[in-house]
Amino acid sequence: MSADEFDPEIERLFARTPLLRDAALFNAQVEQRLQKGSRVRVFALGLAGVIGGVVAIRETMSVNLGLAAGDGVVAGDALGQGIRSTSLDIQSTIQGGLDQFGLGNLELGSMGGMQLFWIAAGALIVLAAAGVMKLSQEM
Amino acid sequence: MMTQPPIDRHDVELAALAAAGGRREFGELVRRHGSAVRGLLRRMGAQATLADDIAQDAFIQAFERCAEFRGEGTFAAWVKRIAARLYIKRVAKEARYIAEVEQKGVAPTVDQAGLMDLDEALKGLSEPERLCVSLCHGAGMAHPEIAAALNLPLGTVKSHVKRGLDKLRARLQPQSAQSLGGTQHVG
Repeated sequence: MSADEFDPEIERLFARTPLLRDAALFNAQVEQRLQKGSRVRVFALGLAGVIGGVVAIRETMSVNLGLAAGDGVVAGDALGQGIRSTSLDIQSTIQGGLDQFGLGNLELGSMGGMQLFWIAAGALIVLAAAGVMKLSQEM
Repeated sequence: MMTQPPIDRHDVELAALAAAGGRREFGELVRRHGSAVRGLLRRMGAQATLADDIAQDAFIQAFERCAEFRGEGTFAAWVKRIAARLYIKRVAKEARYIAEVEQKGVAPTVDQAGLMDLDEALKGLSEPERLCVSLCHGAGMAHPEIAAALNLPLGTVKSHVKRGLDKLRARLQPQSAQSLGGTQHVG
């Protein structure tokens, strides 16, 4: 057999799949690792979403929708008062919720409002992506 | 409407479904090709445990990159290449591996028993020869690709492949090799 004839023969020999007795165990191990990886990903994205949500809520409160100081009075005092009152109600409800979880005094350091806004927006996007991924996995 | 079970589907279809997150479909691909990938790694010289670890890593990576598989070659060949590269990376971490085996080599023993299977025959090759032959003929990598991956000169890779094939031919086809022996090794 010449070298030219032997090359395809070798490839045929390499292409033969060996019979491995623990093939089922190997398949199960790969499946297990895939599941584990998926759980870790869902957990990481979920955690990012929760953190993002907390940051977003905290930021909403500190900005106070820009109305607490009376800036919202644009179309009239009555409308301004109504919005302000609603804003304060929401704020106190959220503050109560955060106090329950010990997050009432959460300080976000020296980050500016815009930075926090983008962080919160990013976190919410991640949360939405996690939701879509979870949905696609369940479909 | 009932969906087709993975077992009835073609690899390319299964890979497309796996790319969309179908773990069941990917499981079928692992079932079909797991042993081939593990076998290749063992033929490259990996111990059974290491071969299985790398094969698992290769399949996990394949699952994550399934969208990149376009069905130009076979799915098995694609995963084998991933596995081969992972193995090369692993052995490259053992910094002196390639250099050491270059010097050391393992003298092939002459088998008088006649024909033997590929796995046995590969044991008679030196480590670099075995690696290069397996990468070339088992993982379907081209010589320049192997040279780049192993960080070896192209000529060295070609020599390893040639010497490895010569030894395999001698061991797998003793009679043919003997009759051709005088003319095969010229050049």
